[in-house]
Amino acid sequence: MTQIPSAAPPGLVLTGACVSLAGKAVLHDLTLHLQEQRIGIIGRNGSGKSTLLRLLAGLIAPSTGRVQVEGVDPFRARREMLSHLGILFQNPDHQILFPTVEEELRFGLEQMGLPKAEAQAQVMALLARHGRSHWQGVSTATLSQGQRHWLCLQAVLLMQPRSILLDEPFAGLDLPTQARLTRALAALPQRLITITHDPGSLAGCDRVIWLEHGRVAADGPPEAVLPRFEAEMQRLGGLDADADLAG
Amino acid sequence: MERNLTHIALFAALIAVLGLVPRVDLAAGVPITAQSLGIMLCGTVLGAKRGALAVLLFLLLVALGLPLLSGGRGGLGVFVGPSAGFLVGFPIAAFVAGWIMERTTLPPFWAAASGGVIGGIGVLYVFGISGMAIVLDKTLSEAALLGLGFLPGDVIKAALAGLVTQAIARARPGALLARA
Amino acid sequence: MLTLTSPVETPLHRLRAGGKLGALALFTFALFWTHSALVLGLGLILVAGLYLGAGGLRFARHGLQMLRPLWPFVAVVALWHLWLEDLAMGAVVVLRMVTAVAAANLVTMTTRLSDMITVLEGLARPLAPVLPPRRLALAIALVIRFIPVLSGRAEQLAQAWRARSGRPPRWRLFGPVALAALDDAETVAEALRARGGAG
Ligand SMILES: Nc1ncnc2c1ncn2[C@@H]1O[C@H](COP(=O)(O)OP(=O)(O)OP(=O)(O)O)[C@@H](O)[C@H]1O
Ligand SMILES: [Mg+2]
Repeated sequence: MTQIPSAAPPGLVLTGACVSLAGKAVLHDLTLHLQEQRIGIIGRNGSGKSTLLRLLAGLIAPSTGRVQVEGVDPFRARREMLSHLGILFQNPDHQILFPTVEEELRFGLEQMGLPKAEAQAQVMALLARHGRSHWQGVSTATLSQGQRHWLCLQAVLLMQPRSILLDEPFAGLDLPTQARLTRALAALPQRLITITHDPGSLAGCDRVIWLEHGRVAADGPPEAVLPRFEAEMQRLGGLDADADLAG
Repeated sequence: MERNLTHIALFAALIAVLGLVPRVDLAAGVPITAQSLGIMLCGTVLGAKRGALAVLLFLLLVALGLPLLSGGRGGLGVFVGPSAGFLVGFPIAAFVAGWIMERTTLPPFWAAASGGVIGGIGVLYVFGISGMAIVLDKTLSEAALLGLGFLPGDVIKAALAGLVTQAIARARPGALLARA
Repeated sequence: MLTLTSPVETPLHRLRAGGKLGALALFTFALFWTHSALVLGLGLILVAGLYLGAGGLRFARHGLQMLRPLWPFVAVVALWHLWLEDLAMGAVVVLRMVTAVAAANLVTMTTRLSDMITVLEGLARPLAPVLPPRRLALAIALVIRFIPVLSGRAEQLAQAWRARSGRPPRWRLFGPVALAALDDAETVAEALRARGGAG
């Protein structure tokens, strides 16, 4: 490592980052410094929100420009990233790697270098805390959508990353489950960066970023960004034809 | 690294799932299971090396005791039974099918279908028939007679392998690792 | 995931998996070595005795069920040798085949998946420089995890097809299912990267 993390700016930093997928430019020249505790990302379908999250998490590399998380390149330093960043995928089926609940929860801890016995003890303690000790050997394939979602979130939280990236964490959840998840998330000490289609859930955020066609359309406190966003969505919803959805 | 591993694992799972598909009754009422189609696809989609590894991984799980062979068969018994030769031939068949896909410049359908015929039938039958000859104590030509019953179904599967590979080449050109 | 391990708990379940596999290898080797119908018959009686003695009638019946795929071959061989009027040879072939498969199934039925994986990890240790044991274990877990996911996907696709078509999908599903496997491979690779990779 040539960079000294302590000298680098804290948080997540994008400098002139562009991303092309399959030859198509998806994100254009993004320069952002994310260090607030609660950050929301909004934008229309196909505007590049998920791509931005994957870029921040180091799952893809920028085609030009630079990404830094707590001073290191998240694409290169995978192991180091584990304590910095966790990501909750939009679809739990894309995230669950193991046939049983225990293996799924244990994996991340083992990846961070914990011995198997200790990882297992932590997993059992977590399940006991949530009154779900009987889940240990349960097959992940038999869990409901909401239960799988919970499992994915716990798998990320167990690794205690400093920031958590959430891609539409409420999609497909029933109202009580949404409410519970909202409370659980609000109580977390971590930095949360959340993609959502529900502007209402962002009122308490420190900062909202509105993406449009892979560029930042607005960036600021929710009371500045959300009214403009909602007005624009109202306007577009009123039109019959939608020239934009073509991508 | 991760992509290699996950492609191998997902295609091992695909072989199993195609074996679970209830027998498809093809036009003439020839019942076939799609498992050997899965073997061919491993080669024609993933390429020789990854395809053969996917098949080996699948066989490993069968040996460990999972009932993943068509008809719910599995365990160690199948490796000493009369069809054991086919199991030995599976990874080699996938390798040959993949090799043909990689080394020829034929359009996807024709490359995959000939890979299916040469690897998934030619090579596979050499192993399968030898295996039957050994276990049943017959000459090769006697055993070949037994194997011929499967030929019509397997020819159809080679054609299907061609169609599926072609469909993938159209839908996700970059995902056809054998040609990437 | 369903395995072929028998839910009927037998004393054989408690034996070490490595020992059982070693004994099976020797036994199978001996079966293919001998050409005496008498010896093979004794072998079959031994195996049948193990089924009945260790697990009782229900267990033995389950074992018999697992031999069902062999019957067509038994029939073919029997007819063949009847026609050749060489019944002794036919008996050798059938006895050997049935005994070998039954013995191997017995080990499978009395050995848990986790014990099998432990043996496998031991056997694979010399390969560690090219195939780290952790990666092998991960690959096995991924397959077991994604068989139900993929077959669920196949079922959904079949329903989506039926919802819009009067005909059954038949082979037309194979393409979409293969595509689903490819797409899952990409997203799973990402999920793996997100948690530190496969290294
Ligand atoms: N793997 C890919 N290959 C090619 N193009 C892609 C790929 N993934 C996404 N895109 C394109 O990139 C653009 C942004 O996609 P992205 O998934 O980031 O959108 P999003 O803002 O998350 O949308 P949604 O709200 O629908 O989830 C889209 O136009 C999409 O077509
Ligand atoms: Mg998205």
